[in-house]
Amino acid sequence: MSSLSLDFIEKLKAIVGEDWVVQGEDLVASYVLDETPPPIRPQPHLDVVVVKPDSSEEVSEILKLANQYNTSVFPRGGGTGLVGGCIPTASGVILSFERMNRIIVDRDNLMAEAEAGATLRDLLNASDEAGLFFPPHPGDEGAQIGGLIACNAGGSRAIKTGVMRNYVRGLEVVLPTGEILKLGGKLLKNNFGFDLMQLIIGSEGTLAVIAKAWIRLYPKFPATATLIIPFESRTTAVKAVPKILHAGILPLALEYVEKIPIERSAEHLGLKWPCRVGESFLIVILAEQSNEALYSQCERLLSLCEEFGSLEPLLAESREEQEYILKIRSEIYSSLKPDMVDILDATVPPASIGFFMDEVERIAKRYNTYLPSYGHAADGNIHVHIMKEQGWRMEDYDKVRDEIYAAAVGLDGTITGEHGVGAVRRKSVDKFLNPTHVKLMKEIKRIFDPKNILNPGKVLP
Amino acid sequence: MNSGLRIIVLIKQVPDIGKVKFNVEEGRIDRSSASLETNPFDLNALETAIQFKEHIGGYVTVVSMGPPQAESSLRDALARGADRAILLTDKFFAGADTLATSYTLATAIRKIGFFDLIICGEKTVDGDTGQVGPEVAEHLNIPHVAYVCEIRSATLDRLLVVSDMGDKYLIEVKLPALITVTKDINTPRLPTLRNVLKAKKANIEVWSADDLADYGELCRFGLQGSMTTVFKIVFPSEEGRRGLIFHGEDAVEKLVEVLRERGFIA
Repeated sequence: MSSLSLDFIEKLKAIVGEDWVVQGEDLVASYVLDETPPPIRPQPHLDVVVVKPDSSEEVSEILKLANQYNTSVFPRGGGTGLVGGCIPTASGVILSFERMNRIIVDRDNLMAEAEAGATLRDLLNASDEAGLFFPPHPGDEGAQIGGLIACNAGGSRAIKTGVMRNYVRGLEVVLPTGEILKLGGKLLKNNFGFDLMQLIIGSEGTLAVIAKAWIRLYPKFPATATLIIPFESRTTAVKAVPKILHAGILPLALEYVEKIPIERSAEHLGLKWPCRVGESFLIVILAEQSNEALYSQCERLLSLCEEFGSLEPLLAESREEQEYILKIRSEIYSSLKPDMVDILDATVPPASIGFFMDEVERIAKRYNTYLPSYGHAADGNIHVHIMKEQGWRMEDYDKVRDEIYAAAVGLDGTITGEHGVGAVRRKSVDKFLNPTHVKLMKEIKRIFDPKNILNPGKVLP
Repeated sequence: MNSGLRIIVLIKQVPDIGKVKFNVEEGRIDRSSASLETNPFDLNALETAIQFKEHIGGYVTVVSMGPPQAESSLRDALARGADRAILLTDKFFAGADTLATSYTLATAIRKIGFFDLIICGEKTVDGDTGQVGPEVAEHLNIPHVAYVCEIRSATLDRLLVVSDMGDKYLIEVKLPALITVTKDINTPRLPTLRNVLKAKKANIEVWSADDLADYGELCRFGLQGSMTTVFKIVFPSEEGRRGLIFHGEDAVEKLVEVLRERGFIA
C-alpha cells in the first residue's frame, strides 16, 4: 500500500496529465537507479511516483503540491551518476525531465537555451548543426543537462575548457517552495547580487530544481588529433604531464591509462588497443584553430617525448580513428564494473598525482588488492577503482576508501573532483570537510528548502 | 627497391561519411559539410600491403586519383608505411565514372611498370559501387578476387585467400593479380607521430593526363571516357520516433488499426 495518498496522485495527474504520472513497482523500477556500482549503491525506495512535467510552470505546481503534502521530491536526469545522487531514499515523487528536452541555439550570442531533459548528445548535435561547439565533455552523452549542471560534471576536457560550471551563463530554476527564478541569462558579465546560480550549480538537486539553462558555445576547433604516448613505467608517464603543460601545450584532454584496464576495455568492446608497446599511456587530444598550429604542437610534443624517454607515440587524425581511441578509454568503467566495488574520484593538485598514485599502490599492497587507477592526469583527477579481485574482503572497503581519501586530502586534495557527494559519499563529509563549511551548507539548505523535501538524504550529513 | 612483393595500393579521398550532409532537394552530397579522409576500406587495403611487406618483404606504392587536396591521404599512407606515393590529378580526369576511373588508374599502373599485386578496398563509402577494383584488373588483363576477408597464405607468386560474398570461398590466385579487401581482414594500424611528421615533408609524385599519354588514350579519361552519368541521388527520408498512448477498452483495436495503416501488419 502506497503512503502517497490518492488525492495527491490525482492532483499530480491534474498538473501534468494522466499519461505522465507513472506508478507501480514494475513501472518505476527503471527510474530508481543510476550507475553507482551495486556493492555500495543505496537501496532505492520503491514507494514512489514518477512524474514527467513539460514546463517550468508544471514543475512549480508539482513542488508547491509536494510542499503542501510534505512529500519528498527527487529530481532525476539521465541516471548516469556514480554516487546515488538521484536514487529515492524515501517515499515521494521522482521528477523525470524526458519531455523537457528542447534546445534552441542562438548563433549570434553563441549560446544554447536547453531544457533540463535534453541530453549531452542532443546539445553536442544541436551545437554542431549550428556550426558551433560545446567544448567540455562532461561524461556520458546520455546524461541530461539538468543533471550535468546540478552535479557540476567535469570530464576529460577540463584541462583546456573547464567543467560544466564554466559554461552555464543562466538558469531557470524552481525553488522547493515552488517559485520560479531566473538567474543570469545570455550574459557574459553579471555582477548583480550574490551569485545564486553558481551556488545551485553543483548542489546536486538539493537547493532547487533546474528547469532550463543558457549555455555558452564556442566556434569549432577545425583541427584535432589524438595521440597515444606509451611509457615503460607509470613514473615516467606521470612526470611527463607537467612538462607537456610547461612547454605551452594545452591539450583538449590529457588522460593517463594503464595497459591492463585499457586492454580489458578494448576486449570488452571487441576492439584492439592500437598501441602494442608500453605499460602506461598518456592519451593527448589536441584541438587547434589550424592544421599548422596542430602540427607545430605535434613537433614540440615529439621532441618532448624524446626528452622524457617515452616509447614511439602514435597519432590518430581521422574522426573515426580518434573516436576509436576515445571509445576504448570511455568504456574502461563499463568493462571493470562487473568486478567493481567503487569508483573514486579523489583529486589532488596536478603536480601531486605521482605521489598520490604511489600512495594508492602502497594501500593496494597493504590490503593485498588491485586498485586500477586512470583518469584526467592534467587535472589531478585520478579514478581509483576498488575491485572485488585478488583476495578482496568487503569488510576492508571503508578502510581502503578512507585511506585513499586521506592520501588525497593529505596532499591538499579533495575526496571528489567531479562525481559529487550524492548518497554514497555523504558519510565522508563530516570526516573530510571543515565543520564550519558543513554548518554553512546546512543553513543554506534550510533557507532554500525549509521543509527538506528536495532530494533529502543527499550531500549533507 | 627491396626484394619481395611489388604492391600497388589504390586509395581515394572521400568526405567523412559519418558527418556529411545530403542536399535532398538537389539530390547531391554537400561535400563542404564534412572533412575529407581516406576511404576507410582503403586503410584495410594499405594495412594488408604493409603486413605483406613485413612478413615476406616488399615495396608499397600508393596511387590516388583526385583533386590536389587528395595529397593529404597519400601523406597519411606514407606515414602508415607506404614507400612511394603518386597523385593523378588533372582537370581531364574530372567527372569520371567507374569505367573512366578504373581506366585511368590502370593506365597509371602501366606507367609504373612492374607489379605483383594490386590491393583496393572493397568499395568507397561515397560511391558504394565496388566496381573500380575489378575493372582495373580487367583493363590490365590480370586475375582478381573481390571481398577478400582473410589471407590464408602468401608466397611471391601466389596467394590463398578467403573471399566473402555472402558465402565464403577459398580461392588461390596466381600473381600478378588484384584483390579487394573487406573491413574484416585486419585493423589498420595507427601511424607513429614521427612518421606523420616525416610524411608531411615527403615527396609526392604528381602525374597529369599528359604524363599518361604514352600509356593510354586521353579520350578514355574523365567525363569524356565515362559511359554513365549520375542524374540525381535520392535519399530515403528519416522518420523520427513517435509515442502514442491508447486508453480504454478499445485500446487494442486502435493499436491494431494504427499498425495496419502503417503497413506493419496485413
